[in-house]
Amino acid sequence: MHLFVSAQENNALKLKISVKENSSLTDLLQQVEHQTSYRFLYDPSELKKNCKLPIAGSYTFTLSQLLSNLGLSYLVDGVQVILKPAVVNKDPGVLSDTLLPLQLLNEVFVIGYGTIQSNYVSSSISKINSQQFHKGSVISPLEMIRGKVAGLSITRVGGNNNPNQVSTVQLRGVTTLSSYDASNQPLIVIDGVPGASLDLIQQDDISSFDVLKDGAAAAIYGTRASPGVILITTKKGRPDSTLLEYSSYISTDQLRKRPEVLSAEDYRRRMLDPHNSRRGIMIDYGATEDYYSQLVNKQNLTHYHYLSASGGTEKNLYRAALYYNSRQGIAKENGNNQYGGRLGLQQKNKDNKIGLQINLAANIKEINLNGGNLEDFEQALQQNPTQPVKDADGEYFYTSGTGYYNPIARLNQEQRSATIQTLAGDVKGTYQLLPHLEAAVTGAFFKRNRTEHNYISKNAKNSIDNYKGGGFEEQSSLIDQTQTLEATLNYKLEKDKQYLNAITGYAYQRNVSTSFSIGNSGFMGDGLPWINIGSGTDLALGKGDMKSNKTANKLVAFFGRLNYVYADKYIAAVTLRKEGSSRFGTNHKWGMFPAFSFAWNISNESFIQEFSFIDVLKIRAGYGITGNQAIPEYQSLITLGTGGAYLNNGIWFQTYGPNKNPNVDLRWEKKKELNWGLDFVLFSNKLSGNLDIYNRTTIDLLANYSTQVPTLITPTIYTNVGSIKNKGVELTLHFNAVRKPDFSWNIDFIGSAQRNKLTKLSDDLFKATYFQYGSLPAPGSLGYAIRAEEGEALGSFYGKRFAGFTNDGKWLFYKADGSKGTAAEMSTNDLTYIGNGIPKYMLSLGSEWKYKQWEFRLFFRSKLKYQILNLPNLYYANKKMLGNNILSAAYSKYQSLNDDPQYSDYYLEKGDFLKLDNVTCAYNFRTRNKLIRAVKCYCSIDNIATLTSYSGLDPETEDTGLTTGIDTRGGYPPTRTITIGVNLSF
Amino acid sequence: MNTKTFLLSALLSTSLVACTNLDEEVFSNIVAGNFYKSKQEVTAAALRPYTHIGASMFSWGGQRNFWRLNELTADQLALPQKGTNWYNGGEFIRLHYHTWTPDELSIQNPWDLLYRGVGFCNNVLSELKGVNPQKIGMTTAELDAIKAEVRVLRAFCHLKLMDLFGNIPIATEIGVPSIPASPRKDVVAFIEKEVKEAVEQLPVLNDGNIGRMTKAGAYAVLAELYLNAETWTGTQRWDDCIAACNKILNGEVGGQNGVAKLENNLTSMFSTKNDKSPEVLFSIAYNFAVTNYRFQWNNDLWHYNQKDFYNANQSGNNGVVVAPDAYDQFKDNDLRKSTWMLIGPQYKFGTTTPVVGTQEYKGKPLVFVKEIRRNSEGKTVSDMTQGEENSGARFNKYVPGQYTDGDYWSNDLVIYRMAEIYFDKAEAIMRKNGNQATPEAVELINTTRKRAFKPEDWATEAYTVGTLTMDELLAERGREFIFEGKRRTDLVRFNKFAEGSWWDHKPTATTKKVFPIPATQIAANPNLHQNEGY
Repeated sequence: MHLFVSAQENNALKLKISVKENSSLTDLLQQVEHQTSYRFLYDPSELKKNCKLPIAGSYTFTLSQLLSNLGLSYLVDGVQVILKPAVVNKDPGVLSDTLLPLQLLNEVFVIGYGTIQSNYVSSSISKINSQQFHKGSVISPLEMIRGKVAGLSITRVGGNNNPNQVSTVQLRGVTTLSSYDASNQPLIVIDGVPGASLDLIQQDDISSFDVLKDGAAAAIYGTRASPGVILITTKKGRPDSTLLEYSSYISTDQLRKRPEVLSAEDYRRRMLDPHNSRRGIMIDYGATEDYYSQLVNKQNLTHYHYLSASGGTEKNLYRAALYYNSRQGIAKENGNNQYGGRLGLQQKNKDNKIGLQINLAANIKEINLNGGNLEDFEQALQQNPTQPVKDADGEYFYTSGTGYYNPIARLNQEQRSATIQTLAGDVKGTYQLLPHLEAAVTGAFFKRNRTEHNYISKNAKNSIDNYKGGGFEEQSSLIDQTQTLEATLNYKLEKDKQYLNAITGYAYQRNVSTSFSIGNSGFMGDGLPWINIGSGTDLALGKGDMKSNKTANKLVAFFGRLNYVYADKYIAAVTLRKEGSSRFGTNHKWGMFPAFSFAWNISNESFIQEFSFIDVLKIRAGYGITGNQAIPEYQSLITLGTGGAYLNNGIWFQTYGPNKNPNVDLRWEKKKELNWGLDFVLFSNKLSGNLDIYNRTTIDLLANYSTQVPTLITPTIYTNVGSIKNKGVELTLHFNAVRKPDFSWNIDFIGSAQRNKLTKLSDDLFKATYFQYGSLPAPGSLGYAIRAEEGEALGSFYGKRFAGFTNDGKWLFYKADGSKGTAAEMSTNDLTYIGNGIPKYMLSLGSEWKYKQWEFRLFFRSKLKYQILNLPNLYYANKKMLGNNILSAAYSKYQSLNDDPQYSDYYLEKGDFLKLDNVTCAYNFRTRNKLIRAVKCYCSIDNIATLTSYSGLDPETEDTGLTTGIDTRGGYPPTRTITIGVNLSF
Repeated sequence: MNTKTFLLSALLSTSLVACTNLDEEVFSNIVAGNFYKSKQEVTAAALRPYTHIGASMFSWGGQRNFWRLNELTADQLALPQKGTNWYNGGEFIRLHYHTWTPDELSIQNPWDLLYRGVGFCNNVLSELKGVNPQKIGMTTAELDAIKAEVRVLRAFCHLKLMDLFGNIPIATEIGVPSIPASPRKDVVAFIEKEVKEAVEQLPVLNDGNIGRMTKAGAYAVLAELYLNAETWTGTQRWDDCIAACNKILNGEVGGQNGVAKLENNLTSMFSTKNDKSPEVLFSIAYNFAVTNYRFQWNNDLWHYNQKDFYNANQSGNNGVVVAPDAYDQFKDNDLRKSTWMLIGPQYKFGTTTPVVGTQEYKGKPLVFVKEIRRNSEGKTVSDMTQGEENSGARFNKYVPGQYTDGDYWSNDLVIYRMAEIYFDKAEAIMRKNGNQATPEAVELINTTRKRAFKPEDWATEAYTVGTLTMDELLAERGREFIFEGKRRTDLVRFNKFAEGSWWDHKPTATTKKVFPIPATQIAANPNLHQNEGY
């Protein structure tokens, strides 16, 4: 949160302003617009009252001088300048040459169903404006604020830049045991429409992110607010400012690190080693191949083009944008093309009493899903390097391995693609009923249609193994639809020293999901692609596949909020939301989500005035209850599912039986959160920051628990049991180290610490034992890596403790009684807690220098205090896996091991890392060109360097959700991204 | 009314009349209240327990099921670690050495699956209470027969549970909380009462009720109950066992394709056409072509490339193998050895092209060997951790036919067959006779054994009263029913389960004769108490 105007670009630039007798404010500002990259946003009618223009003549002065003399203060938002009348109104005839102090301005925070100025905020909210966004190539717009909000984790597992994979997002730690429907991910609200899709938003659409972090702030979105709320505000047209903008970048990913495997030469040498017990099963096929590099697309190129037009008058504003974005990953056949647009219109009637806002957004995304899958990279690692990709006849070479296939052949003999069409629109009508009372009704729709086509050609191994060489074609579609209706009444009053804002409303949302898929095999024809699903013969033979399904759920809410401020000192907010979800039991559908918060603006007290170094000092306290309904539909109903066909007197009947245990008492999971906060600005805006301390407890955890069988039918039931506690501290600091006319230096520090504990996993009715996560796959199927048990931290690794090797390199582990034993002698009682994969600390440091037209940024990120289970080494840095290829580490770090893979703390490594995440250099061209208003060029490099002791490819493992800290066996290649971009405005 | 007031009231009324209906909208599931309204729906519900029993209690589809617990803890079959494959957290090693704990999924899942079977039965019985047969075009007798059938299935599930876990809760209704375990003798009494009451209402087995619980299946359940009654309750029921067997042997229970009788060969009762086999008394019916469901023995029991032996199209996971000394229990001239098991080099169907290995023998001909040891590394140690790709003789009892066959993989899963009745009766006679054979017992066993030998060998292979000892009876029972999920029960009855040694297995404690109650159930149900020794 930046309460003050920061020293901005071109601040010291001398502007030449000519004032005529009949000049208007707009004339003057347009002159500035032509000489700088600033664009002004203001309400002319509001400013006219306060603004006095200088007498006619020609002047030279800086922007701040001009605006101070006009009696205006300003807030910079990227290149967009928001003008406001200042408190001080200078004599228009006298132009001062001294740099006047900038006026304190309050940012406007979006808080759900309304906004509030920052000095009236009493809960924990972070705002990130567009000028703070990460510049460069991002796959999901949320990545623009990665590391910039304390406590918000935005993770790309293994530092991957797979264009078809989204980041995982989590705020303030894991708060639920339900993993249904990404229930740990914050609720996304775009321009007031909750549950929106990030597919509909491009990086240049966004004006700001507001993150509602604590329970008090989030409770207005009661239902899905437990994981936090991210409100995205899109850019809007501005009055009297007709603007055309084009922004574009190209970027490419470079391989940063790859797994080190035996080369063909190494492999052959190992075959001659008399001590190698596996030499008898190693085969030299005579070739020399590097499979991994053949999956890599070194020439990958991503480009992005975004064109927008905006403008309008006081009565109507518009902004329209179109974009095209083509992304290629570092893997072959791994990318997408997307195009779409966004249109925003705002109009007011004659007397400004009726307003209408319309937003329309569309996105079409064509995705190549064939390449870039982790299984291919895992296979590449295992392929015998002497085995040719193609045989002498030019056919793909296959061997008889199980769980072993030629990934290059698979890539070329199979196809997998998807098209996603997303369309959304919303309309909001407002009516000023009384001077202080406004009514609003919003209607919104959303539709996302994902179709997928897969084809396995006839001669592919998969086809030969599973479809008798008949090929396989599959088509599927998934349609998600959402309808939203919201109505609010908003009462706002400012009188004397009091400020009051009351809002009440109703919200309705219905989600429908429809899926359909068909699969067939037994084709005569073949081709890539082959699209003629009816021509296969296997459907008729009962070997085809056909499915369809439809689900729906509804949310209905009544809510209200009251914000009250007295004398700019005492601030209070109360929220209440009553919400119902169709997913719960008949008598438990409705939940109540109250919240209240208070703040004391100490800096406005007279006794603080003697401490002149304090500009702002505010303490906050808030408490709020939020909910979670992330479970599948129909869990409270007795439903019957198909059980397969059975014979009845010569006829095969589809059978039906109960497919789950219904729970009529199923109710809301609730999170109670207490948050203490401190906001401060010190030393004339030199140092500002926020400190938040929170304590959250989630109760009535929704999960699929083990239950009594008998007499229930299935061994699990969705119910509410247990609680999780999360505690944490978050600190945000902004330091204006240097603020001079042509040089500025800002430093931003963000840090958070977080602890969690599964405090209860039982109640009067249910006593759950534990949950397990992170199943370690074949070969060996070594069991689960992570256990969640009452009294333990979530994300805890649970397994054997390494006790050394025998003389011939066999595993020894500790038994519960302290003695040592072999793997075969271990029982479930000998397993224990051996580590944790959730980072305790997340830190980031950004530094920004501006010198004349130059900008330079460095951004560091760090996660500390956690362990990583090095799964690639566990399975593949092991001589026993020879036959297939193995990691070279088997002959260095793991030289003494001579036994089959086992899971134990031996493979847990310290994960702590420090990454130089981004370096950006930008140059703002000075343009006198009438046509072009501003040109900005930048070059940005992501994922530059990593400092860590972790021996795997990248220490950034999954840290959201319940399966954390396990490195991927066949990871997506970690990359460095280089971006060159340009922003033009006309 | 001015515009303002109008709009305000319009807005308010929008809020007030706004939709607050939160009923679930169901599109793809049937809601229970709308079902059981026709004969077809009642039948669809009544058949549900069968597909469950087939798919998850005995079908070897990679499930941790009853079959795994009853075979992988016994002396014939094992799932050894094979190099980097099949350590599986030590699960199968612990089953083999009897070092399991109450936490094991291998123990929890069979409990859950069997009680789910009980739950399906209870659901049918509870829903049928409200059905008026006349309204849906059924006769009262037809509806009663369905109820009787489901009651026997429920009793059967209880029997298997009680066999595994000892004292268990008797469940006859859904949703009754925290019911305690009943002593084994009460469970036996419950099963006996249920089956005896129901059996009279059941039809005889005929070609119209293949795959259903009929008099044939019900008497087979009773025969098993009485044969094991001494083990389970301490009370001998040999005469009751003989009487139940006689009902079947005397042709009073009908049969598939005529009256139930022994096959004269070793394959018909397991073939894709075994719905025509008179040896089958109770089976789970499958027809892969019509239903896309099949009896999945391939997952646990087939080598990765075993489909090539048959020109089939399903893969195996190279799991369960025959222990070396169990294989040696078959004489070389025993046709069951060469028919029901595979050893030596393997060829693609109908050719002399060798099937190749994929692991230690990748690219080399696949040759199954009797031993479980790492021949590829020249090692001679044989234990549960020393298997490799080709270790142990393999399963060939059920054979799917070719991919292109019309009845490909339509083998019904046989749960009770005539041979077992012969064995049950012979054993009851011998036990009644002070564990000595009688001519009648010898005749019964020889009748089933004869088909396993060529006529020229029979003279030396037939049992006599002197040669058919109790140990020999157990061994012969093992040979006849290998792979059929009965071995642990038999070993316990012969006091060889906890007391016996086989392959690399040493005797364990008598408390191992029952498994622990799963830890999840001890936690969930305060009225359940852990079995002794756990």
